[in-house]
Amino acid sequence: MRLRLAVGATGLALAAYGAFLVLSRQGLGDWVEIAAWLAVGVVVHDGVLAPLTIGAGLLVSRRLPAVARGPVAVGAVVLASSTLLAIPVLGRFGARPDNPTLLDRNYVVGWLVLAFLVTAGAVVGTVVRARTVAVAPVRGGGRPGARAGG
Amino acid sequence: MTTGTQLRAPREEDFRSHLRSPAVAARVGLWLGIAFAVCFVTGLISHYAQNPAQPVPFPTSPSWGYRVTQGVHVVAGYGCVPLLLVKLWTVFPKLFARPPKAMRELALHAAERASIGVLVAAAIFQLASGIANAAQWYPWTTFSFRATHYAVAWVAIGALVIHVAVKLPIIRHALGAEVDDTTQDRPAATEPGVLTRRGLLRTTWSAAGVAALVTAGSAVPLLRRVSVLGVRSGDGPGGIPINKSASAAAVTASATAASYRLAVAYAGREVTLTRADLEALPQQTVTLPIACVEGWSASGEWTGPTVRDVMRLIDAPAGRDLRVESLQQRGAFRATTLSSGFADDERTLLALGLDGETLALDHGYPCRLIAPNRPGVLQTKWVARMEAL
Repeated sequence: MRLRLAVGATGLALAAYGAFLVLSRQGLGDWVEIAAWLAVGVVVHDGVLAPLTIGAGLLVSRRLPAVARGPVAVGAVVLASSTLLAIPVLGRFGARPDNPTLLDRNYVVGWLVLAFLVTAGAVVGTVVRARTVAVAPVRGGGRPGARAGG
Repeated sequence: MTTGTQLRAPREEDFRSHLRSPAVAARVGLWLGIAFAVCFVTGLISHYAQNPAQPVPFPTSPSWGYRVTQGVHVVAGYGCVPLLLVKLWTVFPKLFARPPKAMRELALHAAERASIGVLVAAAIFQLASGIANAAQWYPWTTFSFRATHYAVAWVAIGALVIHVAVKLPIIRHALGAEVDDTTQDRPAATEPGVLTRRGLLRTTWSAAGVAALVTAGSAVPLLRRVSVLGVRSGDGPGGIPINKSASAAAVTASATAASYRLAVAYAGREVTLTRADLEALPQQTVTLPIACVEGWSASGEWTGPTVRDVMRLIDAPAGRDLRVESLQQRGAFRATTLSSGFADDERTLLALGLDGETLALDHGYPCRLIAPNRPGVLQTKWVARMEAL
Protein backbone atom coordinates (compact mmCIF):
# COMPACT_ATOMS: atom_id res chain seq x y z
CA MET A 1 0.00 0.00 0.00
CA ARG A 2 2.83 2.35 0.91
CA LEU A 3 4.48 1.62 -2.45
CA ARG A 4 1.23 2.37 -4.27
CA LEU A 5 0.83 5.65 -2.41
CA ALA A 6 4.40 6.64 -3.29
CA VAL A 7 3.88 5.75 -6.95
CA GLY A 8 0.55 7.58 -7.01
CA ALA A 9 2.09 10.69 -5.43
CA THR A 10 4.86 10.62 -8.04
CA GLY A 11 2.26 10.45 -10.80
CA LEU A 12 0.36 13.34 -9.27
CA ALA A 13 3.54 15.44 -9.16
CA LEU A 14 4.36 14.66 -12.81
CA ALA A 15 0.83 15.52 -13.96
CA ALA A 16 0.79 18.69 -11.86
CA TYR A 17 4.06 19.77 -13.48
CA GLY A 18 2.46 19.24 -16.91
CA ALA A 19 -0.54 21.34 -15.88
CA PHE A 20 1.84 24.02 -14.59
CA LEU A 21 3.65 24.02 -17.96
CA VAL A 22 0.36 24.47 -19.82
CA LEU A 23 -0.72 27.32 -17.55
CA SER A 24 2.61 29.11 -17.23
CA ARG A 25 3.86 29.05 -20.81
CA GLN A 26 0.69 29.88 -22.67
CA GLY A 27 -2.13 32.39 -22.36
CA LEU A 28 -5.83 32.14 -21.53
CA GLY A 29 -6.89 31.74 -25.17
CA ASP A 30 -4.51 28.79 -25.52
CA TRP A 31 -5.81 27.16 -22.32
CA VAL A 32 -9.37 27.27 -23.62
CA GLU A 33 -8.38 25.76 -26.96
CA ILE A 34 -6.18 23.07 -25.38
CA ALA A 35 -8.99 22.11 -22.98
CA ALA A 36 -11.42 21.96 -25.91
CA TRP A 37 -9.10 19.67 -27.92
CA LEU A 38 -8.50 17.44 -24.89
CA ALA A 39 -12.28 17.08 -24.52
CA VAL A 40 -12.86 16.57 -28.24
CA GLY A 41 -10.60 13.51 -28.29
CA VAL A 42 -12.56 11.83 -25.50
CA VAL A 43 -15.92 12.76 -27.00
CA VAL A 44 -14.92 11.48 -30.45
CA HIS A 45 -13.69 8.19 -28.98
CA ASP A 46 -16.49 7.54 -26.50
CA GLY A 47 -19.26 9.04 -28.60
CA VAL A 48 -18.31 8.03 -32.13
CA LEU A 49 -15.52 5.44 -32.40
CA ALA A 50 -16.65 3.20 -29.53
CA PRO A 51 -20.32 2.98 -30.66
CA LEU A 52 -19.18 2.40 -34.26
CA THR A 53 -16.93 -0.42 -33.05
CA ILE A 54 -19.80 -1.95 -31.07
CA GLY A 55 -22.01 -1.71 -34.16
CA ALA A 56 -19.34 -3.33 -36.33
CA GLY A 57 -18.90 -6.06 -33.71
CA LEU A 58 -22.63 -6.81 -33.77
CA LEU A 59 -22.58 -6.96 -37.57
CA VAL A 60 -19.65 -9.38 -37.56
CA SER A 61 -21.03 -11.63 -34.85
CA ARG A 62 -24.63 -11.73 -36.12
CA ARG A 63 -24.52 -11.38 -39.88
CA LEU A 64 -21.39 -13.27 -40.88
CA PRO A 65 -21.02 -17.05 -41.10
CA ALA A 66 -19.20 -18.39 -38.04
CA VAL A 67 -16.03 -19.35 -39.92
CA ALA A 68 -15.57 -15.81 -41.26
CA ARG A 69 -16.05 -13.95 -37.96
CA GLY A 70 -12.56 -14.37 -36.52
CA PRO A 71 -10.62 -13.50 -39.68
CA VAL A 72 -12.89 -10.53 -40.43
CA ALA A 73 -12.53 -9.21 -36.88
CA VAL A 74 -8.72 -9.46 -37.12
CA GLY A 75 -8.71 -7.68 -40.46
CA ALA A 76 -11.06 -4.98 -39.19
CA VAL A 77 -8.87 -4.17 -36.17
CA VAL A 78 -5.73 -3.98 -38.32
CA LEU A 79 -7.26 -1.95 -41.14
CA ALA A 80 -9.38 0.39 -39.00
CA SER A 81 -6.50 1.40 -36.74
CA SER A 82 -4.13 2.04 -39.64
CA THR A 83 -6.87 3.99 -41.43
CA LEU A 84 -7.47 6.15 -38.38
CA LEU A 85 -3.82 7.13 -38.08
CA ALA A 86 -3.68 7.80 -41.84
CA ILE A 87 -6.41 10.47 -41.77
CA PRO A 88 -3.90 13.37 -41.98
CA VAL A 89 -2.12 11.88 -45.02
CA LEU A 90 -5.27 10.61 -46.75
CA GLY A 91 -6.83 14.07 -46.35
CA ARG A 92 -3.54 15.77 -47.34
CA PHE A 93 -4.53 18.62 -45.01
CA GLY A 94 -0.93 19.74 -44.51
CA ALA A 95 0.07 19.63 -48.20
CA ARG A 96 1.79 22.76 -49.51
CA PRO A 97 2.23 23.65 -53.17
CA ASP A 98 5.77 24.95 -52.51
CA ASN A 99 6.97 21.67 -50.97
CA PRO A 100 6.60 18.60 -53.19
CA THR A 101 8.68 16.45 -50.76
CA LEU A 102 5.95 16.54 -48.11
CA LEU A 103 3.06 14.05 -48.40
CA ASP A 104 4.68 12.88 -51.65
CA ARG A 105 3.01 9.49 -51.94
CA ASN A 106 -0.25 8.41 -53.51
CA TYR A 107 -1.89 7.62 -50.19
CA VAL A 108 -5.20 6.49 -51.65
CA VAL A 109 -3.44 3.82 -53.72
CA GLY A 110 -1.30 2.91 -50.70
CA TRP A 111 -4.38 2.53 -48.54
CA LEU A 112 -6.13 0.45 -51.22
CA VAL A 113 -3.12 -1.88 -51.36
CA LEU A 114 -3.19 -2.22 -47.58
CA ALA A 115 -6.97 -2.81 -47.63
CA PHE A 116 -6.56 -5.40 -50.38
CA LEU A 117 -3.85 -7.27 -48.45
CA VAL A 118 -5.89 -7.24 -45.24
CA THR A 119 -9.02 -8.38 -47.08
CA ALA A 120 -7.08 -11.11 -48.83
CA GLY A 121 -5.73 -12.21 -45.45
CA ALA A 122 -9.26 -12.39 -44.02
CA VAL A 123 -10.49 -14.40 -47.03
CA VAL A 124 -7.59 -16.83 -46.81
CA GLY A 125 -8.14 -17.15 -43.06
CA THR A 126 -11.81 -17.90 -43.62
CA VAL A 127 -11.12 -20.54 -46.27
CA VAL A 128 -8.50 -22.22 -44.09
CA ARG A 129 -10.87 -22.27 -41.14
CA ALA A 130 -13.75 -23.55 -43.25
CA ARG A 131 -11.60 -26.51 -44.31
CA THR A 132 -10.43 -27.15 -40.75
CA VAL A 133 -14.03 -27.03 -39.53
CA ALA A 134 -15.14 -29.41 -42.28
CA VAL A 135 -12.38 -31.87 -41.40
CA ALA A 136 -12.47 -31.49 -37.64
CA PRO A 137 -15.63 -33.56 -36.83
CA VAL A 138 -14.24 -36.51 -38.82
CA ARG A 139 -11.16 -36.48 -36.63
CA GLY A 140 -13.45 -36.08 -33.65
CA GLY A 141 -11.58 -32.90 -32.85
CA GLY A 142 -13.74 -30.93 -30.41
CA ARG A 143 -15.19 -27.47 -30.87
CA PRO A 144 -14.14 -25.62 -33.99
CA GLY A 145 -15.76 -22.40 -32.76
CA ALA A 146 -13.30 -22.20 -29.89
CA ARG A 147 -10.39 -21.93 -32.30
CA ALA A 148 -11.25 -18.47 -33.44
CA GLY A 149 -8.36 -17.14 -35.45
CA GLY A 150 -5.83 -14.48 -34.75
CA MET B 1 -27.24 5.68 -27.13
CA THR B 2 -29.88 3.15 -28.06
CA THR B 3 -29.96 -0.56 -27.89
CA GLY B 4 -32.16 -2.47 -30.31
CA THR B 5 -35.51 -2.49 -28.58
CA GLN B 6 -35.44 -0.11 -25.65
CA LEU B 7 -34.13 3.42 -25.30
CA ARG B 8 -31.85 3.75 -22.27
CA ALA B 9 -28.27 4.43 -21.36
CA PRO B 10 -26.11 1.29 -21.48
CA ARG B 11 -25.09 -0.33 -18.20
CA GLU B 12 -21.85 -2.00 -17.31
CA GLU B 13 -23.52 -5.43 -17.28
CA ASP B 14 -24.80 -4.96 -20.85
CA PHE B 15 -21.29 -5.72 -22.06
CA ARG B 16 -21.05 -9.48 -21.90
CA SER B 17 -17.97 -10.43 -23.93
CA HIS B 18 -15.33 -12.17 -21.83
CA LEU B 19 -12.70 -10.43 -23.96
CA ARG B 20 -13.39 -7.22 -22.05
CA SER B 21 -11.42 -8.52 -19.11
CA PRO B 22 -8.64 -7.23 -16.85
CA ALA B 23 -6.57 -10.18 -18.09
CA VAL B 24 -6.60 -8.64 -21.59
CA ALA B 25 -6.53 -5.00 -20.47
CA ALA B 26 -3.43 -5.56 -18.30
CA ARG B 27 -1.52 -7.20 -21.15
CA VAL B 28 -2.36 -4.56 -23.74
CA GLY B 29 -1.87 -1.89 -21.07
CA LEU B 30 1.60 -3.17 -20.27
CA TRP B 31 2.79 -2.65 -23.84
CA LEU B 32 0.88 0.60 -24.20
CA GLY B 33 2.57 1.82 -21.01
CA ILE B 34 5.98 0.79 -22.29
CA ALA B 35 5.35 2.53 -25.61
CA PHE B 36 4.21 5.70 -23.81
CA ALA B 37 7.33 5.59 -21.63
CA VAL B 38 9.50 5.27 -24.76
CA CYS B 39 7.70 8.22 -26.36
CA PHE B 40 8.08 10.24 -23.15
CA VAL B 41 11.82 9.63 -22.80
CA THR B 42 12.62 10.18 -26.50
CA GLY B 43 10.39 13.27 -26.40
CA LEU B 44 12.35 14.67 -23.46
CA ILE B 45 15.58 14.05 -25.38
CA SER B 46 14.20 15.93 -28.38
CA HIS B 47 12.95 18.77 -26.22
CA TYR B 48 16.31 19.06 -24.50
CA ALA B 49 18.17 18.97 -27.82
CA GLN B 50 16.15 22.00 -28.93
CA ASN B 51 16.62 23.86 -25.67
CA PRO B 52 18.85 26.92 -26.20
CA ALA B 53 20.16 26.71 -22.61
CA GLN B 54 21.69 23.30 -21.87
CA PRO B 55 23.37 22.81 -18.47
CA VAL B 56 24.85 19.59 -19.86
CA PRO B 57 25.77 20.13 -23.54
CA PHE B 58 23.91 17.84 -25.94
CA PRO B 59 26.43 15.29 -27.29
CA THR B 60 27.66 15.52 -30.90
CA SER B 61 28.15 11.74 -31.17
CA PRO B 62 26.88 9.42 -32.40
CA SER B 63 25.90 11.55 -35.39
CA TRP B 64 22.79 9.36 -35.90
CA GLY B 65 21.68 9.50 -32.25
CA TYR B 66 18.88 12.03 -32.70
CA ARG B 67 17.83 10.34 -35.91
CA VAL B 68 17.22 7.13 -33.95
CA THR B 69 15.57 8.64 -30.86
CA GLN B 70 13.20 10.82 -32.85
CA GLY B 71 12.40 8.06 -35.35
CA VAL B 72 11.60 5.76 -32.43
CA HIS B 73 9.48 8.50 -30.84
CA VAL B 74 7.25 8.91 -33.88
CA VAL B 75 7.03 5.24 -34.89
CA ALA B 76 6.19 4.20 -31.31
CA GLY B 77 3.50 6.87 -31.36
CA TYR B 78 1.92 5.39 -34.49
CA GLY B 79 2.13 1.93 -32.93
CA CYS B 80 0.25 3.22 -29.87
CA VAL B 81 -2.88 3.91 -31.91
CA PRO B 82 -4.10 0.28 -32.13
CA LEU B 83 -2.83 -0.43 -28.61
CA LEU B 84 -4.81 2.47 -27.17
CA LEU B 85 -7.94 1.61 -29.17
CA VAL B 86 -7.94 -2.01 -28.01
CA LYS B 87 -7.11 -1.00 -24.43
CA LEU B 88 -10.05 1.40 -24.35
CA TRP B 89 -12.28 -1.26 -25.93
CA THR B 90 -11.47 -3.78 -23.21
CA VAL B 91 -12.38 -1.35 -20.41
CA PHE B 92 -15.22 0.52 -22.16
CA PRO B 93 -17.96 -1.02 -19.92
CA LYS B 94 -16.34 0.72 -16.93
CA LEU B 95 -17.51 4.02 -18.42
CA PHE B 96 -21.05 3.00 -17.45
CA ALA B 97 -20.25 1.67 -13.97
CA ARG B 98 -22.73 2.88 -11.36
CA PRO B 99 -21.09 5.09 -8.72
CA PRO B 100 -21.13 3.71 -5.15
CA LYS B 101 -23.58 5.23 -2.65
CA ALA B 102 -21.40 5.54 0.46
CA MET B 103 -19.77 8.96 0.71
CA ARG B 104 -16.17 7.78 1.16
CA GLU B 105 -16.33 5.27 -1.69
CA LEU B 106 -18.07 7.82 -3.86
CA ALA B 107 -15.27 10.34 -3.34
CA LEU B 108 -12.61 7.74 -4.17
CA HIS B 109 -14.61 6.58 -7.19
CA ALA B 110 -14.93 10.17 -8.43
CA ALA B 111 -11.21 10.81 -7.97
CA GLU B 112 -10.30 7.65 -9.89
CA ARG B 113 -12.76 8.47 -12.69
CA ALA B 114 -11.28 11.96 -12.92
CA SER B 115 -7.71 10.61 -13.15
CA ILE B 116 -8.76 8.18 -15.88
CA GLY B 117 -10.57 10.97 -17.71
CA VAL B 118 -7.35 13.00 -17.67
CA LEU B 119 -5.30 9.98 -18.77
CA VAL B 120 -7.58 9.15 -21.71
CA ALA B 121 -7.87 12.79 -22.80
CA ALA B 122 -4.11 13.36 -22.59
CA ALA B 123 -3.27 10.07 -24.33
CA ILE B 124 -5.62 10.72 -27.25
CA PHE B 125 -4.40 14.32 -27.47
CA GLN B 126 -0.74 13.27 -27.61
CA LEU B 127 -1.29 10.70 -30.34
CA ALA B 128 -3.64 12.87 -32.41
CA SER B 129 -1.56 16.06 -32.17
CA GLY B 130 1.71 14.20 -32.81
CA ILE B 131 0.34 12.39 -35.87
CA ALA B 132 -1.14 15.64 -37.22
CA ASN B 133 2.17 17.43 -36.68
CA ALA B 134 4.11 14.72 -38.52
CA ALA B 135 1.92 15.48 -41.54
CA GLN B 136 2.32 19.24 -40.93
CA TRP B 137 -1.42 19.56 -40.31
CA TYR B 138 -2.40 22.14 -37.72
CA PRO B 139 -6.18 22.09 -37.33
CA TRP B 140 -5.96 24.08 -34.08
CA THR B 141 -5.65 27.85 -34.26
CA THR B 142 -3.87 29.39 -31.28
CA PHE B 143 -1.76 27.02 -29.19
CA SER B 144 1.85 26.10 -29.95
CA PHE B 145 2.26 22.44 -30.91
CA ARG B 146 5.69 22.08 -29.40
CA ALA B 147 4.92 23.69 -26.02
CA THR B 148 1.59 21.90 -25.70
CA HIS B 149 2.73 18.44 -26.83
CA TYR B 150 5.55 18.77 -24.28
CA ALA B 151 3.33 19.95 -21.41
CA VAL B 152 0.56 17.39 -22.02
CA ALA B 153 3.22 14.65 -22.17
CA TRP B 154 3.90 15.28 -18.48
CA VAL B 155 0.16 15.19 -17.77
CA ALA B 156 -0.21 11.92 -19.69
CA ILE B 157 2.75 10.19 -18.06
CA GLY B 158 1.69 11.44 -14.61
CA ALA B 159 -1.89 10.20 -15.08
CA LEU B 160 -0.49 6.90 -16.37
CA VAL B 161 1.66 6.47 -13.24
CA ILE B 162 -1.39 7.26 -11.05
CA HIS B 163 -3.42 4.71 -13.01
CA VAL B 164 -0.76 2.03 -12.47
CA ALA B 165 -0.68 2.83 -8.74
CA VAL B 166 -4.47 2.54 -8.45
CA LYS B 167 -4.69 -0.70 -10.46
CA LEU B 168 -1.48 -2.32 -9.22
CA PRO B 169 -3.11 -5.29 -7.40
CA ILE B 170 -5.34 -6.04 -10.41
CA ILE B 171 -2.40 -5.72 -12.83
CA ARG B 172 -0.20 -7.98 -10.69
CA HIS B 173 -2.84 -10.66 -10.44
CA ALA B 174 -3.71 -10.46 -14.15
CA LEU B 175 -0.11 -10.67 -15.34
CA GLY B 176 0.68 -13.43 -12.85
CA ALA B 177 -2.22 -15.60 -14.06
CA GLU B 178 -3.11 -17.20 -17.39
CA VAL B 179 -4.73 -14.95 -19.99
CA ASP B 180 -7.89 -17.07 -19.77
CA ASP B 181 -8.12 -16.60 -15.99
CA THR B 182 -11.57 -15.25 -15.08
CA THR B 183 -11.24 -14.47 -11.36
CA GLN B 184 -11.12 -10.71 -11.94
CA ASP B 185 -13.77 -10.58 -14.67
CA ARG B 186 -17.01 -8.69 -14.26
CA PRO B 187 -19.83 -11.12 -13.40
CA ALA B 188 -21.65 -10.36 -16.65
CA ALA B 189 -18.59 -10.86 -18.87
CA THR B 190 -19.02 -14.54 -19.62
CA GLU B 191 -19.88 -14.81 -23.32
CA PRO B 192 -17.20 -16.05 -25.70
CA GLY B 193 -16.12 -13.46 -28.24
CA VAL B 194 -15.52 -13.74 -31.95
CA LEU B 195 -11.84 -14.25 -31.08
CA THR B 196 -10.15 -15.99 -28.19
CA ARG B 197 -8.28 -13.77 -25.74
CA ARG B 198 -5.00 -14.93 -27.20
CA GLY B 199 -6.40 -14.23 -30.65
CA LEU B 200 -7.34 -10.68 -29.65
CA LEU B 201 -3.87 -10.08 -28.20
CA ARG B 202 -2.15 -11.40 -31.32
CA THR B 203 -4.45 -9.22 -33.43
CA THR B 204 -3.50 -6.19 -31.35
CA TRP B 205 0.24 -6.84 -31.67
CA SER B 206 -0.23 -7.35 -35.43
CA ALA B 207 -2.18 -4.11 -35.76
CA ALA B 208 0.54 -2.22 -33.86
CA GLY B 209 3.19 -3.82 -36.08
CA VAL B 210 1.28 -2.88 -39.24
CA ALA B 211 0.79 0.68 -37.98
CA ALA B 212 4.54 0.99 -37.42
CA LEU B 213 5.43 -0.68 -40.70
CA VAL B 214 3.20 1.49 -42.92
CA THR B 215 4.59 4.70 -41.43
CA ALA B 216 8.22 4.01 -40.45
CA GLY B 217 9.67 4.40 -43.96
CA SER B 218 10.01 8.15 -43.47
CA ALA B 219 12.75 7.36 -40.93
CA VAL B 220 13.95 3.91 -41.99
CA PRO B 221 15.24 3.89 -45.59
CA LEU B 222 14.83 0.10 -45.85
CA LEU B 223 11.08 0.44 -45.34
CA ARG B 224 10.51 3.26 -47.83
CA ARG B 225 8.65 1.05 -50.30
CA VAL B 226 6.60 -0.68 -47.60
CA SER B 227 5.49 2.43 -45.74
CA VAL B 228 2.57 3.35 -47.98
CA LEU B 229 1.19 5.78 -45.38
CA GLY B 230 4.48 7.48 -44.46
CA VAL B 231 4.46 11.28 -44.50
CA ARG B 232 7.45 11.37 -46.85
CA SER B 233 8.94 8.98 -49.37
CA GLY B 234 12.40 10.27 -48.43
CA ASP B 235 13.01 11.83 -51.82
CA GLY B 236 13.99 15.39 -52.54
CA PRO B 237 16.79 17.46 -54.07
CA GLY B 238 20.06 15.62 -53.39
CA GLY B 239 18.07 12.70 -51.92
CA ILE B 240 16.84 14.66 -48.93
CA PRO B 241 13.29 15.93 -48.28
CA ILE B 242 12.55 19.55 -47.44
CA ASN B 243 10.82 20.77 -44.34
CA LYS B 244 10.43 24.47 -45.16
CA SER B 245 10.88 25.77 -48.68
CA ALA B 246 12.67 29.00 -49.58
CA SER B 247 9.42 30.55 -50.71
CA ALA B 248 7.66 29.58 -47.45
CA ALA B 249 10.55 31.19 -45.55
CA ALA B 250 10.35 34.24 -47.87
CA VAL B 251 14.08 34.17 -48.64
CA THR B 252 14.09 33.42 -52.38
CA ALA B 253 15.14 36.96 -53.35
CA SER B 254 17.70 37.53 -50.60
CA ALA B 255 19.25 34.04 -50.96
CA THR B 256 19.78 34.37 -54.71
CA ALA B 257 20.79 38.04 -54.76
CA ALA B 258 24.29 38.90 -56.06
CA SER B 259 24.64 41.10 -52.98
CA TYR B 260 24.44 38.06 -50.62
CA ARG B 261 27.16 38.13 -47.97
CA LEU B 262 27.78 35.96 -44.93
CA ALA B 263 28.72 38.07 -41.92
CA VAL B 264 31.13 36.46 -39.44
CA ALA B 265 31.63 38.30 -36.16
CA TYR B 266 33.61 38.05 -32.95
CA ALA B 267 34.50 40.57 -30.24
CA GLY B 268 33.31 43.62 -32.15
CA ARG B 269 35.03 42.58 -35.38
CA GLU B 270 33.07 41.51 -38.41
CA VAL B 271 34.02 40.29 -41.87
CA THR B 272 31.68 39.58 -44.77
CA LEU B 273 32.16 36.70 -47.17
CA THR B 274 30.68 35.90 -50.55
CA ARG B 275 29.81 32.33 -51.49
CA ALA B 276 32.97 32.33 -53.64
CA ASP B 277 35.00 33.21 -50.54
CA LEU B 278 33.50 30.19 -48.77
CA GLU B 279 34.27 27.98 -51.79
CA ALA B 280 37.91 29.14 -51.61
CA LEU B 281 38.29 27.76 -48.07
CA PRO B 282 39.41 24.12 -47.58
CA GLN B 283 36.42 21.92 -48.45
CA GLN B 284 35.36 18.92 -46.39
CA THR B 285 32.83 16.24 -47.29
CA VAL B 286 30.93 14.52 -44.48
CA THR B 287 28.02 12.09 -44.41
CA LEU B 288 25.44 13.31 -41.91
CA PRO B 289 21.71 12.81 -41.49
CA ILE B 290 19.04 15.47 -41.42
CA ALA B 291 16.69 14.26 -38.71
CA CYS B 292 13.51 16.25 -38.36
CA VAL B 293 11.51 16.58 -35.14
CA GLU B 294 8.59 15.24 -37.19
CA GLY B 295 10.37 11.88 -37.25
CA TRP B 296 11.56 11.65 -40.85
CA SER B 297 15.26 11.53 -41.56
CA ALA B 298 17.64 11.06 -44.48
CA SER B 299 21.38 10.83 -44.79
CA GLY B 300 23.32 13.09 -47.16
CA GLU B 301 26.84 13.79 -48.32
CA TRP B 302 27.52 17.43 -47.52
CA THR B 303 30.43 19.52 -48.78
CA GLY B 304 31.72 22.86 -47.51
CA PRO B 305 34.20 24.49 -45.13
CA THR B 306 34.06 23.52 -41.47
CA VAL B 307 32.41 26.08 -39.25
CA ARG B 308 35.63 26.13 -37.24
CA ASP B 309 37.66 27.15 -40.34
CA VAL B 310 35.18 29.95 -41.06
CA MET B 311 35.42 31.25 -37.49
CA ARG B 312 39.21 31.13 -37.65
CA LEU B 313 39.06 33.84 -40.33
CA ILE B 314 38.38 36.39 -37.58
CA ASP B 315 40.50 34.62 -34.96
CA ALA B 316 37.52 33.49 -32.92
CA PRO B 317 38.90 30.98 -30.40
CA ALA B 318 37.54 27.46 -29.95
CA GLY B 319 35.23 26.79 -27.00
CA ARG B 320 32.78 29.55 -27.89
CA ASP B 321 29.07 29.15 -28.52
CA LEU B 322 27.92 30.63 -31.82
CA ARG B 323 24.79 32.55 -32.64
CA VAL B 324 23.67 31.51 -36.12
CA GLU B 325 21.15 33.66 -37.96
CA SER B 326 19.19 32.90 -41.10
CA LEU B 327 18.11 35.20 -43.91
CA GLN B 328 14.58 34.34 -42.72
CA GLN B 329 12.91 37.37 -41.16
CA ARG B 330 10.44 35.37 -39.07
CA GLY B 331 10.06 31.97 -37.44
CA ALA B 332 10.97 30.47 -34.07
CA PHE B 333 14.26 29.06 -35.37
CA ARG B 334 15.38 32.11 -37.36
CA ALA B 335 18.32 32.45 -34.99
CA THR B 336 19.78 29.51 -33.06
CA THR B 337 22.62 28.91 -30.66
CA LEU B 338 25.28 26.45 -31.78
CA SER B 339 26.96 25.35 -28.58
CA SER B 340 30.75 25.10 -28.59
CA GLY B 341 30.76 21.29 -28.72
CA PHE B 342 29.02 21.43 -32.11
CA ALA B 343 30.83 24.57 -33.32
CA ASP B 344 34.26 22.99 -32.71
CA ASP B 345 33.38 19.53 -34.09
CA GLU B 346 35.29 18.91 -37.31
CA ARG B 347 32.17 17.36 -38.88
CA THR B 348 30.16 20.58 -38.46
CA LEU B 349 30.08 22.30 -41.84
CA LEU B 350 28.76 25.37 -43.49
CA ALA B 351 27.52 23.23 -46.37
CA LEU B 352 27.70 24.63 -49.91
CA GLY B 353 26.90 21.38 -51.69
CA LEU B 354 24.89 18.20 -51.22
CA ASP B 355 25.45 14.90 -52.98
CA GLY B 356 28.08 16.40 -55.30
CA GLU B 357 25.85 19.23 -56.48
CA THR B 358 25.37 22.85 -55.50
CA LEU B 359 23.07 23.09 -52.49
CA ALA B 360 19.46 23.49 -53.64
CA LEU B 361 17.74 26.74 -52.73
CA ASP B 362 15.19 24.82 -50.63
CA HIS B 363 18.05 23.12 -48.76
CA GLY B 364 19.54 26.46 -47.74
CA TYR B 365 21.56 27.91 -50.67
CA PRO B 366 23.92 29.82 -50.51
CA CYS B 367 25.02 27.95 -47.35
CA ARG B 368 23.53 26.03 -44.47
CA LEU B 369 24.61 24.62 -41.18
CA ILE B 370 24.97 20.85 -40.90
CA ALA B 371 26.13 19.34 -37.62
CA PRO B 372 26.08 15.79 -36.26
CA ASN B 373 23.35 14.57 -33.88
CA ARG B 374 21.21 17.69 -34.04
CA PRO B 375 17.47 18.22 -34.63
CA GLY B 376 16.71 19.37 -38.18
CA VAL B 377 15.10 22.63 -37.04
CA LEU B 378 18.45 23.72 -35.63
CA GLN B 379 20.38 23.01 -38.86
CA THR B 380 19.95 26.61 -39.93
CA LYS B 381 19.39 27.19 -43.66
CA TRP B 382 20.21 30.35 -45.67
CA VAL B 383 22.80 31.37 -43.09
CA ALA B 384 23.29 35.15 -43.02
CA ARG B 385 25.41 35.66 -39.91
CA MET B 386 27.55 33.70 -37.46
CA GLU B 387 28.81 35.33 -34.29
CA ALA B 388 31.08 33.79 -31.67
CA LEU B 389 29.68 34.67 -28.23
